[in-house]
Amino acid sequence: MKNTLTRDFKYARSLIEASLDPLVAINAEGNIIDANEASIKVTGYLWEELVNTSFSNYFTDPKKAHEAYLQVFHKGLVNNYPLTIKHKNGDLTDVSYNASVYRDDNGNVLGVFAVARDITLQKLALDLKKANEELVSQNKLIEKRANELVIANKELAFQNREKEKRAEELVIANEELAYQNIQKRKQKIVNKKLEAFNHDIKLDSLYSLSLIEASLDPLVTISSKGKIMDMNEALTSITGLTREELTDSDFLDYFTEPQKARNVYEEVFAKGSVADFPLTLRHKNGKLTDVLFNGSIYKDEKENVAGIVIVARDVTEQKRVAKELTEAIIFSEMATIIAEEAKEKAEKDRLIAQDAVKAKQQFLSNMSHEIRTPMNAVIGFTKVLLKTDLTPKQIEYLRAIKLSGDSLILLINDILDLAKVDAGEMVFEQTPFKIALSISAMLHLFETKIQEKNLKMTTTYDERIPDVLLGDPLRLHQIILNLVSNAVKFTSKGEITFNTKLQKEDEHEVIVEFLITDTGIGIADSKIETIFENFKQASSETSRLYGGTGLGLAIVKKLVELQRGSIQVISKINEGTTFRFILPFQKTKANPEVEMELEEYDKVISNVNVLVVEDIKLNQLLMRTLLDDFGFDCDIAANGRIAIDKMQTKAYDLVLMDLQMPEMNGFETTAYIRNIMNSDIPIIALTADVTTVDLAKCKAVGMNDYITKPIDERLLYSKMLVFIKKADEVSESDVKLLNDSVNIKCTNLQNLNTRTKSNQVLMKEMISLYLEQTPILISTMKQSLIERDWKVLQATVHKMIPSFSIVGIHSDYENIAKKIQEFASNKLQTEDITDLVIQLEKVCNQACLELLEELDTYKNTNDE
Amino acid sequence: MMNNENKIKLFLVDDDALFLKSLEIDFIGSADFDIETFSTGELCIANLSKNPDVIILDYHLDGIEKDAMNGLETLDKIKAFNPETPVIILSSQDKIDVAIECMHHKATDYIVKSETAFIRLKKVISEVLRFNKMEKQLKWYMERM
Repeated sequence: MKNTLTRDFKYARSLIEASLDPLVAINAEGNIIDANEASIKVTGYLWEELVNTSFSNYFTDPKKAHEAYLQVFHKGLVNNYPLTIKHKNGDLTDVSYNASVYRDDNGNVLGVFAVARDITLQKLALDLKKANEELVSQNKLIEKRANELVIANKELAFQNREKEKRAEELVIANEELAYQNIQKRKQKIVNKKLEAFNHDIKLDSLYSLSLIEASLDPLVTISSKGKIMDMNEALTSITGLTREELTDSDFLDYFTEPQKARNVYEEVFAKGSVADFPLTLRHKNGKLTDVLFNGSIYKDEKENVAGIVIVARDVTEQKRVAKELTEAIIFSEMATIIAEEAKEKAEKDRLIAQDAVKAKQQFLSNMSHEIRTPMNAVIGFTKVLLKTDLTPKQIEYLRAIKLSGDSLILLINDILDLAKVDAGEMVFEQTPFKIALSISAMLHLFETKIQEKNLKMTTTYDERIPDVLLGDPLRLHQIILNLVSNAVKFTSKGEITFNTKLQKEDEHEVIVEFLITDTGIGIADSKIETIFENFKQASSETSRLYGGTGLGLAIVKKLVELQRGSIQVISKINEGTTFRFILPFQKTKANPEVEMELEEYDKVISNVNVLVVEDIKLNQLLMRTLLDDFGFDCDIAANGRIAIDKMQTKAYDLVLMDLQMPEMNGFETTAYIRNIMNSDIPIIALTADVTTVDLAKCKAVGMNDYITKPIDERLLYSKMLVFIKKADEVSESDVKLLNDSVNIKCTNLQNLNTRTKSNQVLMKEMISLYLEQTPILISTMKQSLIERDWKVLQATVHKMIPSFSIVGIHSDYENIAKKIQEFASNKLQTEDITDLVIQLEKVCNQACLELLEELDTYKNTNDE
Repeated sequence: MMNNENKIKLFLVDDDALFLKSLEIDFIGSADFDIETFSTGELCIANLSKNPDVIILDYHLDGIEKDAMNGLETLDKIKAFNPETPVIILSSQDKIDVAIECMHHKATDYIVKSETAFIRLKKVISEVLRFNKMEKQLKWYMERM
């Protein structure tokens, strides 16, 4: 048995030893009882070292190994129990233990047999597998993750879309919100407005309340029982009572006439209202206020009369205004009356002033006439007397008389001239005259006197001065006469020189300078300034010594200046004086007037019959004496009528005609002679009044010449000779020439010039209008006279009337026109009317010619 | 032209061109006037809408033109247009019955054509305007009443 057993054992043993897996047998106490080679290898310990050592000591985790051991004992086996064997050098080997108990034949547990399979590779494979699995699972996970991501993306996209949508919704929502905000705001504004409106309403009612309070008119409400219910401030102030006092008091108590107030009050209830009823309110201090009572009832909601509202208008102011107005009316009426009175007074004053001016002129005119007439005789007869045989004494006395007479006449003429200048009536003619001749004739008059005083006179005349100039020779004479007679008067020895010089010449005008120098007493420097003033002489001495009025130089200065000239004086006392004046003259191509050439005395002309028409006895006698002296025969007629009678029975060579005469004056007589008798007999006017107007009239009615009183016999003689000589060589043409030479102007534009303020354009317009209108009127006038159409004649002449004064035709013609008008309106067909019409026609035609010439001069001046 | 506000607007009516012109010259000389002249009554009437302050009217407007409206007819027409317009009649006739007739036709005044006519006209115009002013003031007060 042993052998078999031994062999069996051996075999089993080799098998065990051959196993690569560590095999150990463990006893019940857990100590190793046996181990194979594999176990020694894996532990690094020798078998001897292993046997009888605790199994557990060779594991990294002895406790777990122990548990596995216990488990085996407990369960009988254990499978794949993972443990890690620890090598002696420290290497570790993962193993999987499979153990089972091994029993004796009795089945008692002897120990445990444990096989440890090295599972390091297994473990690696497992690990790989595990890793693979892990990877797969991870892949799966990734896949899953990816899927999830896709889904998540999708989800995100969806969510984005959702978000976008949401956003859009939000925008819409925003807009909505915004809109809602606006609405809200609007709502707020509306609310505010409403608030404001409410406020306004409150204010309004406050305002109307304050208006009521502010009203100056008392406002009051009264109950139906007549008690005051409410009022405004004005009522308290007008009554002087407080609101408390007034409330519930009887309204009617505050009026001066309560009964009347009550009537009104009742009327309000009866009629519903009352307007402007005058009453008076009383203040508690007694002051009364006039009011107009206006009331109307007011009703409550149920249309019951609740009381009345009264406005009492204070009319104190209105009454005051009304009173003031009444006063104003009275005042203005008074003012009107005063104005009326003032007007009347002014009118009266004006008339008085006019009368005064007229009276002054009349006085001067009368005086000159009244003084000159007798002086004429005094001087005339003195002259006559001087020619008789006389003793030297008598001659001396008579000369004294004549000298005094001459100076008196001179004074009168001077005064008249000055008056004329002052009245603006001094008129200058513009007639063509030979200036050289005129001057020499003038100076000729002084020859006697110069010889008497044993002086010398030198005259120089500038030959360049045109022969014929347009001007007023009479006034030039007057100027020279005054200056030369002064020179003669104040010079006792030496010489007097008279110079003329052409100072300037142009196309239309020349300016001539005149120098009068004497070697007389001279004028003191201090007096030079005043010598041109009225009634001033160089010294009062001079007037006593030399006589004179002191008017001469004043007149000279005015005459010069009125003709656009100027005058200066240079003087040295005791050496002499020089007067220098310049005057402008218009150039002309017209023929000069017949010059009064002074004929020599000694030419005796016989068989001359002269008719003197003169009413004053003294003058008649004087004229007869003078004419006798001249050797002429003469007849006297006391007035025009007698003269005409005489002329019809006897032929005369010449008529000397006084102007102022009773029965038939000089103008009428001349007109008759010319127009009715158709006589061209020379007529010389004898005039005391040397106004240009008179001269113009003389010429207009057909007189040939004039001579002023007192008559200078030499002048008279020479003038008469001119006509007698002409008459001797009687021929039609001569007479015609004479008539033509009668060209003293009938028009005078001085007034028009003043009116237009020398505006040439206006002057031209006026003249043109006259020239346009007048010829038509003349022909209408003549035609109507022929046709005996009195109405047209009257109207035409009527139309002419205003034009006379405008162009300065003498008022006599205006009177003629008025006469015609009167005759025509009375349909009186008389001889006179034809005569008057002819006169009017004549003067108008002449005026037209003159104005045409005037117009030409304007045109010429404008061409310059 | 500004001054025109203060100037007195004057109508001169006369068929006598010469006298019309001389009157115009007189008035121009005194500067306070804005003047329009008319040679016939018809022309004057046609221009009444310009509201003259004063009209100076010739009595004898039909002197030469037989068919022309005469002074009195013109006066009546002016007064019909505006009874307030003062009209001063000018005439070369110094006749009381003519003057009275003019007054009956409500002329403000009657002035004879003469050298002093202008001075008198000016006086009458200033009187008339002053009177009108007073009347206006009165009226104003009346209205305030």
